[in-house]
Amino acid sequence: MSEPLRFGLPKGRVFDQAIALLSSAGINISPEYLDSRRLIVPDVNGKFSFVTLKPIDILVYVESGALDAGIVGTDILRELESDVYEPLDLKIGKCKLALAAPNGAALAFDQHIRIATKYPKTAQRFFLSQNVHVQIIRLEGSVEIAPLLGLADAIVDLVETGRTLNDNGLHIIEDVHHVSSKLIINRTAMKLRAKTINHLVSQLDSAVYANP
Amino acid sequence: MKTNSIGNPAGFRDILFDEARRRRTIETSLAQLFEQKGYREIAPAGVEFYDLYARGNQSIKDRAFRFLDREDHLLALRADFTPAIARIVAARLLNTEFPIRVWYCGNVFRRVELHRGLFRETTQVGAELLGNNSTQSDAEMLSLALEGITALGISDVQLHLNHAGIFKGIVDTLRLEAKALEQLTFEIDRKDTRGLAARLRQIGVSNDVAKQLDALSRCTGGEDVLFEARKVLTAEGSRRALDELVALSKTFGSWSSRVIYDLTEIDEMEYYTGIMFNFFSPKLKRELGRGGRYDDLLAEFGAPMPAVGFSFSMESLSELA
Repeated sequence: MSEPLRFGLPKGRVFDQAIALLSSAGINISPEYLDSRRLIVPDVNGKFSFVTLKPIDILVYVESGALDAGIVGTDILRELESDVYEPLDLKIGKCKLALAAPNGAALAFDQHIRIATKYPKTAQRFFLSQNVHVQIIRLEGSVEIAPLLGLADAIVDLVETGRTLNDNGLHIIEDVHHVSSKLIINRTAMKLRAKTINHLVSQLDSAVYANP
Repeated sequence: MKTNSIGNPAGFRDILFDEARRRRTIETSLAQLFEQKGYREIAPAGVEFYDLYARGNQSIKDRAFRFLDREDHLLALRADFTPAIARIVAARLLNTEFPIRVWYCGNVFRRVELHRGLFRETTQVGAELLGNNSTQSDAEMLSLALEGITALGISDVQLHLNHAGIFKGIVDTLRLEAKALEQLTFEIDRKDTRGLAARLRQIGVSNDVAKQLDALSRCTGGEDVLFEARKVLTAEGSRRALDELVALSKTFGSWSSRVIYDLTEIDEMEYYTGIMFNFFSPKLKRELGRGGRYDDLLAEFGAPMPAVGFSFSMESLSELA
């Protein structure tokens, strides 16, 4: 039998959805492994080795070929201009990147504007496409605090339900792009294990699109 | 950081002893084969006018290390061999016998992002055949490369082959604006068939063309892929390109079991004008090398002529050889 396909699962908000989707595609991890502290776990059929990592690290592993495949959100894929194949939108982890500002304050685009974000490249591209000049301030988390403390005039951040924005007195000015998780594949793995990977893609495709 | 440190700047490394010897052996072995097949060595200058990289493969241009000389000329460290060879042929070799067969081995410098574990100085070894656009010259180039890899003791090499004209043939009939073409290319490059279908609807491409692109996105495998493609492709340019691939496939002989036709791959398609290919080994999660036909490049140096070539990554070869 051929080597198991090495597959990165995203830690955090998308993990449970990813496990459920794989399961409905007939790819199951035994519950005892899921509860264990083992870092690398097989599926029940021994066709995959699963590793749970931060999404941004999955991209690094898959790009370099240390993992063959993984699940990563388009927020990260577009920010890092990744060099991997993305054969399938899995329709999980859905949210959006949006430009948001404090309620009541209009953003004066003829003035100097500071934007706080975890996505500096995406934000820069967005404002360039609108012919607006802004100053980007890169943060690693809790971006919505930046306008409240006067570090920035507005933010570009992930919005899922809008509740965090609401609670902090912010509102959406414009959507930057929709986000959902995609199946990603290492470029060389796609060439060398085309049959296995095409089978995986069609299994997941049926699972995602048969039950909308 | 201290600048008088005794370490390397990020992205650079020294090569010592065993690894250096391994690389030397690989170079010697390939050089011997190339010379025996009538290829002559060119060692281009290490520094070029930056302008050189504005011609040809645009993906390299932004990655060149640039600097000014004392007379304020914008210069660049060598970032690629092919444009340098095109320049040399146009400047100095037009009165020699055609076709021109040359090989090279040396380092190139590219400002790649470091956080992905990449190096900014790598070594390439390759060959180019200029002045001939026949199927025979494509075949000669591919068998030279396969023979070279095999001579290094790498016995499981795979050649993944496509022709830039197949996709271009379809796109030419669409007359898309730059933006739409960029979006379309992006989806195909991601290998996302549903994303592609959605994009085609958004751009307003006819069902007939959408069907062809969808069929093409599944065309990877043995020779039968070429006949599958022949059944669906209608654009004249695509069919001509396919004919060239079929003619080439008949020249492979004992190499044919090493060839995978991958009509889905469009990486660097803007640059290539004919065949385009990559070499892989199941033992390595990187390509061993790549190449293709670039019939438009020499015209940018005022000496229009067809050309085809390949280059290997010394780093990949020395991991396997």
